[in-house]
Amino acid sequence: MAVAGSVKMALQVAEVLEAIVSRCVGPEGRQVLCTKPTGEVLLSRDGGRVLEALHLDHPIARIIVACVSSHLRKTGDGAKTFIIFLCHLLRGLLAITEKEKDSLTLENIQTFERRWKNCCQWKCISQALVTFQTQILDYIIDEYLSRHFLSIFSSSAKERTLCRSSLELLLEAYFCGRVGRNNRKLISQLMCDYFFKCMTSESGMEVFELVDNCFVELNVSVTGLPVSDSRIIDGLVLHRDFSVYCPADGDIRVAIVREIIQPVFSTYRSEFVLNSETQFQTSQIWIMERTKSIMKHLLSQNVKLLLSSVKQPDLVIYYARLSGISVVDCLSSEEISLIQRIIGLSPFVLSQASLQCEISDTASVKFCKPFILRSKTYVHLGLISTCTFIPHCIILCGPVQGLVEQHENALYGAFKMLQQLFKDFDLNYIKKANNQNDTLSPPIYKNSGKNNQLPKSYTHSIQRPYQDTDIKNNDELEETQYLKVHSNLVVSNVELETYIPCSPPKMIPTDAVQTDETWRCLPLENNRVIDDYELLIESNSASNSITENTRIEISYENFQVIDIAEKRSMLPVKYKSVDTYKSQSFCSSSIPAGCVLPVGGSFEILLHYYLLNYAKKCQQLDEIIVSKLIANALLGIPKILYKPKKGNHSFPQIYLRALHTLQTNQPMVSSWAGLESVIGKYYLLTSVLQCLTKILTIDLVINIKRQPQKNSDQDSEDELQH
Amino acid sequence: MLSRLEAKKPSLCYSEPLTTEKVRATLSVLKGILTSCYGPSGRLKQLHNGMGGAVCTTSQSAVLLRNLSVTHPILKILTTSVQNHVSCFSDCGLFTAILCCNLIENVQKTDLTVTTTIKLNTHLLNFCTNYLRSEVCGCRIPVDFSNTPILLCLVRSILTSKPACMLTRKEIDHISVLILRAFLLTIPENTEDPIILGKSIIVPLKGQRVTDSTVLPGVLIEVSEVQLMKILLVRKSSPLKVVLFSTSLSGDFSDPGEGNVVVSDGVFLENAVLDQLINLGRQLVSDRVELVLCQKVIHPSLKQFLTTHQVIAIDRVGVMLMEPLSKVTGAQPIGSLGSISPGSYGSVKDWCSAKFGCKHFFHLIPNEATVSSLLLCNRSDTAWDELKTYEEPGSILQDDGCTQAELQLIAEAFCSALESLAGSLEHDGGEILIDMKYGHFWSIQAGPSSVVNWTDLLSRCGCGVYSSQEELGWSFLRSTCHPFVPQTCLPHESWEVSPQSAHSLTLDCLTAKLSGLQVAVETANLILDLAYVIEDKS
Repeated sequence: MAVAGSVKMALQVAEVLEAIVSRCVGPEGRQVLCTKPTGEVLLSRDGGRVLEALHLDHPIARIIVACVSSHLRKTGDGAKTFIIFLCHLLRGLLAITEKEKDSLTLENIQTFERRWKNCCQWKCISQALVTFQTQILDYIIDEYLSRHFLSIFSSSAKERTLCRSSLELLLEAYFCGRVGRNNRKLISQLMCDYFFKCMTSESGMEVFELVDNCFVELNVSVTGLPVSDSRIIDGLVLHRDFSVYCPADGDIRVAIVREIIQPVFSTYRSEFVLNSETQFQTSQIWIMERTKSIMKHLLSQNVKLLLSSVKQPDLVIYYARLSGISVVDCLSSEEISLIQRIIGLSPFVLSQASLQCEISDTASVKFCKPFILRSKTYVHLGLISTCTFIPHCIILCGPVQGLVEQHENALYGAFKMLQQLFKDFDLNYIKKANNQNDTLSPPIYKNSGKNNQLPKSYTHSIQRPYQDTDIKNNDELEETQYLKVHSNLVVSNVELETYIPCSPPKMIPTDAVQTDETWRCLPLENNRVIDDYELLIESNSASNSITENTRIEISYENFQVIDIAEKRSMLPVKYKSVDTYKSQSFCSSSIPAGCVLPVGGSFEILLHYYLLNYAKKCQQLDEIIVSKLIANALLGIPKILYKPKKGNHSFPQIYLRALHTLQTNQPMVSSWAGLESVIGKYYLLTSVLQCLTKILTIDLVINIKRQPQKNSDQDSEDELQH
Repeated sequence: MLSRLEAKKPSLCYSEPLTTEKVRATLSVLKGILTSCYGPSGRLKQLHNGMGGAVCTTSQSAVLLRNLSVTHPILKILTTSVQNHVSCFSDCGLFTAILCCNLIENVQKTDLTVTTTIKLNTHLLNFCTNYLRSEVCGCRIPVDFSNTPILLCLVRSILTSKPACMLTRKEIDHISVLILRAFLLTIPENTEDPIILGKSIIVPLKGQRVTDSTVLPGVLIEVSEVQLMKILLVRKSSPLKVVLFSTSLSGDFSDPGEGNVVVSDGVFLENAVLDQLINLGRQLVSDRVELVLCQKVIHPSLKQFLTTHQVIAIDRVGVMLMEPLSKVTGAQPIGSLGSISPGSYGSVKDWCSAKFGCKHFFHLIPNEATVSSLLLCNRSDTAWDELKTYEEPGSILQDDGCTQAELQLIAEAFCSALESLAGSLEHDGGEILIDMKYGHFWSIQAGPSSVVNWTDLLSRCGCGVYSSQEELGWSFLRSTCHPFVPQTCLPHESWEVSPQSAHSLTLDCLTAKLSGLQVAVETANLILDLAYVIEDKS
């Protein structure tokens, strides 16, 4: 069975999701209880989890959920806002088409044809969305929005220092949306403490990465105790008990082992031939002696603690106890690797040949003792860190497992959010010149250096020191950076070293490479737009908008040309980049790390305002439509946030006041205490637009009866699409 | 999304779960069950499955909640949170559950929004915990280990609140003394920081009189009669040299590794291993070891060898006893068949055989150790299951409503829950009074309510700290009373005033109660905060 994909259907689905999600959003939001077929109970305010727990059947709903999940994996925040925003966008889109419906029915074309047209129309819109996302958004953020940004760093002369109170505000606002009302203060305080305890002054991104990778190992969950018993403790808590515990003090050295210390009769793929009983006995004695000597050797190196990833046999345990060495075995490989990362110690290898084993290195620990939590014993290690991460553990308590898990997830999400916030983010766009002809020249469209689609490593590589955020004046940096962007987009991993100018490849926008259908469709759309918004200047005719549309196609073609050219030589690429930079006012800026805005819809209202302003000045039809559409949809989020507020704090009041302050150039005042990350919002916006584009480009939903096949990612991907 | 072989059914999602009539009804039924169990005069519940199986009689929250099958997710949250609390503190489970139920019910009766109630609840909780932790709190009694009567009261209060144990007053006294003695034995004599408590091993014994229960220092190892007879033949000396094996002495082959081990023709590994074992036996004999204890199995030949050399060998001790045995004897568990270092040997003062009921025990008497065995006897299974021991050092809170009554004065909306909890302590249809001086709890028999002189009817307040001679003004708990500040009194003073009341003092563990209070409020807040329930139906 096949169903035509339509915006209407998507809107219906999104509205159902919105209804669920909108009750959990914001500081007044409430909890959702999810039960699993196994009987487990999960509490959540995390939109992503709620959506996944619903196990939605509807194909469009599944696309939306998949988009939300991938967004969450990246940023750890904003699932609920995602749905609300998407819903408003769809609503706005539908409203535009509703108005136009009359004209369509008057035409009296056949159903198939009409649907075809519809599809093309959606496609055009989705293309316009892509254009918006890649070009206009960055421009507006850099040009207008950035002046409102606050920073969580107190910017003193050279060093940037993290301002604790700002971080507190940021985290509190974050946890407002993620944990229950009565625990948010406690959890955000816990997170804040943890953050400052783990960080040294020179800690950087690697701490975030470490916490991100080893989050499970860094916290211990305890059920049955009140949440208020949660705390942070110094050192690392291993989720194991000692096999042997010998109290020790003074200089305690630790060694890590990944294999069984006791020698065995035969190793893998070898054979041990026993010829006599005495041989057996002597070999057993040898094994004992060898184990003993290894332990003695360890002791002579002052090793008092042995961490093992495998279970050590009785014999080893016995000799360890005799030598006064504490043993913790059966550690998970994640725990071992975390310890290795913190103390920079590699496991020692036992050589089979010589009796004297080589212990490459050992590390010191401050203490090592049993740690009893709710009648379960853990190992508590005071590791001396060699990296910038100072090990601390979070102990999360709660009356039920579901609640503890919720807090754990919220903390994890908060780390993700901070991780994004602490990176600079590059914005690349074209500063539109007033001359309209300029916009028609092709290279512009390749300049839409879309950073968020680049591989992660790339974003790292071009991270510059904080001080040079304002690089517009710095020509050299500009150029090199542009080259990098370019090479990554098109050439991928080709190092550009030489710099030889060359003639540009011919890429003049000659004809449109479009199908007939599109052609037929376009004028219609244009008429509609003119009907709707009487903002257009007369000179902006239909032909103009057609070229506008063809440009995208051309720019794609350009990419291909570059690709081919690249294979022959790298020169054209280089030349073009220079050319672009010089002739077009190409701008590269960034959202510096730590940019925040007051919570409570500030970002949305600001962007709304500037988008409308932009739309007024803009002369291209679909840019106007799209900007207005997005601007209006953005307001949906503060509308929900301010729903419970009355009187002077109701949404219309807030909105009018905000508009007034913006028009009169006064600083914005927010009624909420709290901050939110700009980059998180930016990512959210782009993710939603991408999701919308995805939905709009679908014309037919085909239901496949056959069982989904396993072990094939391609298949599951298909399954989602249809 | 990964591909699944089985398509999942869409989940069921419904909003505002608390407003449905069904949930309210089940909640009040659960509350009814729990309240009737609460307190020393609580009623028993008999749980049985219609399909057969054992019948369980209990009034304990842990047993009750474990056996009740709760299906609704909201109730599941409530019961699991109480069960988790009980597994931590093994006390105050009913208190937590009832308080939580009451809070949910009472909040629903008010018109306040969820946001406000949660905020208020949290605020009041903080207020209560601060008060209870503060020095001014009039209902705290500090405990030190030299003051055994108070400890005894604590243990007795716990035991009396478990009517399913079917213990008479005399039996309760006996058991309380035993439990306390066992606990005190675990405290080492020479106290250093930090104090490492010893261990008391509970040896269950069914079909015996309760008063036969006893506490013995050292470890009891259950052995068969035949084995014991053999052991008795061995001559005794004291102190005994003991060796403790954690490895198997059965002659099994240790891990050969990942490769192959090829044994040539005519080579008998069994002989080789046996030789090793006998060698080990020779070393033990020459080291004048008199007692061999093994966690696992001892080879019969080695056993025979040892017995002929007047060495007692006891195997299959089990992993549970290894740690106490090592503590009692001071021996280190040995994990190798090689030569034994002299430091691994331990010693005990003496041993004797003991017979309790139909079971025979080998009793190790230590020189000085913090390990003791508590023999608990009881007539029936259920009653034995009900007997549990818990000793929690720390501050003690007077129970039986005094605190609840006191808290009741703090705030109205929140504490009507506490109030009705205190109220639920009275099961005999009597009235509950609260005095205006200390804010303690008094209970009277049902009868003519037009009594002029309360003092005639009331003899002692619920927890037994105050008697009615003192000039106190009473008022009904449920009547509106004008707020007053509970007078702070030093518990010591009143303690000294009426030492004879020690017998009837009812006490409760503060840490457990405090945590129970917190858990209850947190769980209630959690349940009140629910906007949706999503049930995975696949």
